[in-house]
Amino acid sequence: MKSLEQLTDSVFYIMAALTEPRHGYAVMSLIEETTKGTFVVGPASLYTIIKKLLAEQLIQLHDDSDSRRKVYVLTDKGREILLEDIERRKTMIHLAEQGLQRGQK
Amino acid sequence: MRNKRYMPSMGLAFSEALDMKELSKKAAEGWHLKRFQCAGYGLEKGEPEEVIFSIDYRKLQKADEEEYFELFAYGGWTHVCSSAHMHIFKAAPETTPIYSDAESSIDKLARLAKPVNLVASIALAITMVLWVFMTFTSGTIQHIAEQGFTGSFIFTVPAIMTSGGVYYHMWKNLRLKSKHI
Repeated sequence: MKSLEQLTDSVFYIMAALTEPRHGYAVMSLIEETTKGTFVVGPASLYTIIKKLLAEQLIQLHDDSDSRRKVYVLTDKGREILLEDIERRKTMIHLAEQGLQRGQK
Repeated sequence: MRNKRYMPSMGLAFSEALDMKELSKKAAEGWHLKRFQCAGYGLEKGEPEEVIFSIDYRKLQKADEEEYFELFAYGGWTHVCSSAHMHIFKAAPETTPIYSDAESSIDKLARLAKPVNLVASIALAITMVLWVFMTFTSGTIQHIAEQGFTGSFIFTVPAIMTSGGVYYHMWKNLRLKSKHI
């Protein structure tokens, strides 16, 4: 994972889950539940991405963490990056929706 | 009948998937992976079991171990054994792969490439130095250098091939990634 300028789907889901403080495995189950199992993150991918997001200071350890249960949450920088990517994704959806509507006429 | 058996590795950098498949096959026959053992795997006899295996390469800090193994357990993967920053897990067939995206599996290969490249570079450097001695000296020194060169050459070739193997897998993953985006 070289650059986080454009978030991959996995990174996007994980950051979306960490808008509120969560454990790693709570992130996994939230993604699985919300997408009804159509998108799942493997444990090694999740661990790799968490470490990467920590290094890039997009997430941080939450105060509720102890050594046994690590809880993460987005940093301000993380929120900013996520917001930017939401806008990027909105543009994609907007383009597709408009096209589909015009195509119907 | 002996209840322990040794299974050689085909070389993880080349055929990680083959090794894992072979472990799966052995488990179905009732031979279960217990430990890493001298460039291969130590198996023990038990009940036949339908499982798949995966390996991860990661240098774990003591403080991170618990979190790491807990995530795998939550994902349905049971930790089997670890050695020198290599960790093998097993799970029921159809379990979500430990690496679900191309990005992080490239990271995995990059972690594997580091020590592999280091060993290959050192081996190559030693071989080259010995070659220089072998070519530009005479007498006893030349004789010793010749012997050393043969030995290190035999080691260097597979080391460089292993390096190449890792990069080949990385390239394959990059291609996979570009297909997805």
